[in-house]
Amino acid sequence: MSWLLVACGPQRLPSGLVYCSEGNPESFNPQLVTSGTTIDATSHQIYSRLIDYDTQSGKLVPALATHWSMSEDGLSYRFVLRENVKFQYSSRFTPSRTFNADDVLFSFNRIIDPQHPYHWVSRTGYPFFQSIGFAKQVKEIKKINDHEVIFYLARQDASFLSNLATDFAVILSAEYAQQQLALGHPENVDHFAIGTGPFTLVQYAKNEYIRYRRNPDFWGEPAKIDMLVFDITPKSTVRLAKLIAGDCSVSALPKAGELPVIKQHHDLIIESQPGLNVAFWAFNTQKPPLDDVRVRRALAYAVDKQNILRAVYQNTAIEATGVLPPASWAYDNNKGLNDYNPQKARDLLKEVGIKNLSIDIWAMPVARAYNPNALKTAELIQSDLANIGVKVNIVSYDWSVFSQRLSRDEYDSVLIGWNADNSDPDNFFTPLLSCSAMQSNNNRSRWCNRQFDAILDRAREVSTQAERKAIYQEAEAFLADQVPMVSLAHAKRVALTRSNVQNMQLTPFGGISFAHTSQAPLEAH
Amino acid sequence: MFRYLLRRLYLFLATSLVMVGVLFYTTGLFPVERSFALTGIHAPTANQLVQIEQDYKLNDNQAWQFFAYLQQRLSGNLGVSVTSNQSVAEELSAVLPASFELAIMAAIIAIGLGVPLGVLASQSQHKLTQNTIMAITLTGYSVPVFWLGLYLSLWFGVDLGWLPISGQLNLLYEIKPITGFMLIDILLSESEYSMSAFKDALLHIVLPATTLAVLPFTVVVRSTRSAMMNVMNQTFIRAAEARGMHTSTIILRHALPNALIPVLKHLGLMLGSFASYAIVVEMIFSWPGVGSWLVSGIYQRDYTVIQGGILAVALLIIFLSILIEVLHTVFNPLSRKDLYAAS
Repeated sequence: MSWLLVACGPQRLPSGLVYCSEGNPESFNPQLVTSGTTIDATSHQIYSRLIDYDTQSGKLVPALATHWSMSEDGLSYRFVLRENVKFQYSSRFTPSRTFNADDVLFSFNRIIDPQHPYHWVSRTGYPFFQSIGFAKQVKEIKKINDHEVIFYLARQDASFLSNLATDFAVILSAEYAQQQLALGHPENVDHFAIGTGPFTLVQYAKNEYIRYRRNPDFWGEPAKIDMLVFDITPKSTVRLAKLIAGDCSVSALPKAGELPVIKQHHDLIIESQPGLNVAFWAFNTQKPPLDDVRVRRALAYAVDKQNILRAVYQNTAIEATGVLPPASWAYDNNKGLNDYNPQKARDLLKEVGIKNLSIDIWAMPVARAYNPNALKTAELIQSDLANIGVKVNIVSYDWSVFSQRLSRDEYDSVLIGWNADNSDPDNFFTPLLSCSAMQSNNNRSRWCNRQFDAILDRAREVSTQAERKAIYQEAEAFLADQVPMVSLAHAKRVALTRSNVQNMQLTPFGGISFAHTSQAPLEAH
Repeated sequence: MFRYLLRRLYLFLATSLVMVGVLFYTTGLFPVERSFALTGIHAPTANQLVQIEQDYKLNDNQAWQFFAYLQQRLSGNLGVSVTSNQSVAEELSAVLPASFELAIMAAIIAIGLGVPLGVLASQSQHKLTQNTIMAITLTGYSVPVFWLGLYLSLWFGVDLGWLPISGQLNLLYEIKPITGFMLIDILLSESEYSMSAFKDALLHIVLPATTLAVLPFTVVVRSTRSAMMNVMNQTFIRAAEARGMHTSTIILRHALPNALIPVLKHLGLMLGSFASYAIVVEMIFSWPGVGSWLVSGIYQRDYTVIQGGILAVALLIIFLSILIEVLHTVFNPLSRKDLYAAS
């Protein structure tokens, strides 16, 4: 009977916030991945970067670097580092010194120097840095003194600072790394993370949860919540149910079809913000007949994007006319470049002389911010293409298998997308469609065009925004002509919160951050 | 009796051996490298590769490979999980207690409510009571568990907001695993929130345990009823009545113990379907037990987790079936007689 008595007492909850996240992180070091799930769980919780984006204005603000300056020739950047920044401690590691230039050197040399003892500890490489050619871009990083470093670049690059402010460019502890290397477990550095961010990683239970505690020594304004828990819940409906039942306070990635249900509950709030992302349909341009630009154009004309916006996004997204979304400063409405025109598509195919064309569309099995339901999108494209006499076979695997096989060049076309990591427009082109992106398998179109790379290089070398915008529009026109992929939509970023959660800031790009979030106490029920 | 137990032990070993054999054969059918399917190590170093070849005798013929496989699995080496790179045996021991906790709760509900109701149904003189109980149990027996689980969570969780519908505990409570059984661990923990956490854990277990209990509950009610009706007509009961004993004494002391023997047998026969029910229930309520671990392993093509999960669940079912049979024999002298006559 005793438990019956217990059940009548008032219920008290430890203070903290539970976030229903959509999946397991692949690693706890954002340098090694590009997946949004991992970034959400690590980048802004455990780590800090040299510089950050201000979430409101999108401008660069100091983080671990308090000042920075560019030399006149644009080839070197000098950073003055913040003093008295303490690293987190764990059962494995107690820091003996504060953050200094050695940590910066370690964090970046690991990526650019193949001789570095930690370079090969990552089995997955450094996909973001490889896709932007970071190792070629940075010639050397020099320590001036404990609190000053200089980055020497091989060529001018207007996107360099933006790249340092991305979620991937986190600062690790060199001391921790040395200690673990001496113990013979270098992989621990990426698994049992130590950083300088607002939260300390406490425990990760696969398929269940990730637990963090507030870092009391955080260099910035300390986090308002004592404990942060990521409740790993892959199913979108279950996340919603948990949010309604109060098991979590914030929930990730709702499906568009669930939004009406949320509106019925007055204690739930939908936070949304135009996102810096793009969902696209990439053609494997190395595989016939998709190596023929006329075939790609024909397929692009055949897709009714409005229909996809209605059925898949329930009108929560806007039609993509190019790669860049309207939230980017380099955006221009390019409507009319590749509009829906099935007749033109049929004519083009007739001109090429292809009959009974049949292609595979790979649809990713998971919801992403840019595309909540790739399978449905694939089905819609299937019926669009049936209209012009092309047969479509839809292929899908579970996510880990899907991404592995995608790296192997055996697909015809794939429905996938991109979430920007910073507000620089270069982030939409170089990591996705450049030749270096092809080597790191991030270029899903497997499309390497020297002419296009030259345009991108040019855009990075000039520094006024107006000039850069003009060049990026040139790049958009080039893409519209060559059609390595068809951009479909730019989705809004959406998160659901309970009404007692405050300051849950969604940024148009990058991972989620709980550094400023607070929660009014829950009433017992 | 000793010979009987020995024979049951042989039966257990032989069945398990066949099961491992089937598992070994199907492992070979996974569409990946054999060494990968066996160990879960994705890109082994040269040293690891040599070790794997030695451990699993990959260069020998199938029979030797099977013995090596058996040896590895028996010594507790289930490989590492493909997705998390952690030892499968460790992951398994972390999820097993949660499943047991749920199963024990469901068993308490099913037997605690089912036996009295079954007795009531058998003893009631009212046709209406009898029919009502039978109608309810027949409905419970036929309702698909996935539908029931979803509707219970929709009603009690989403619409009414009375009960939590997923997981074991609100994650803000930080409970260190000691035994692995959540309710026990909470009582053992010295957290200032342990009482609230205990209440929270109880609330979390209500819906999954009830959903899981429905099928065994109906089985218990129906088999208790028929066994009771059977027993109550036997001569020793009538003799007891003739001696003027009280009805409740007759039922509790004389009839029920005899009636429960066939109930036990019935439950034993349905262990396999209970296990598959449990997997579905764990999935619906995101209960962190073997079932949801196994299913997510299947979704992620985590070959070592799939093997480990199947091995654990199958061994458990084989073991429990044989245990129930042994118990049946222990409690039922009649079946022992059969046995001796046969041997």
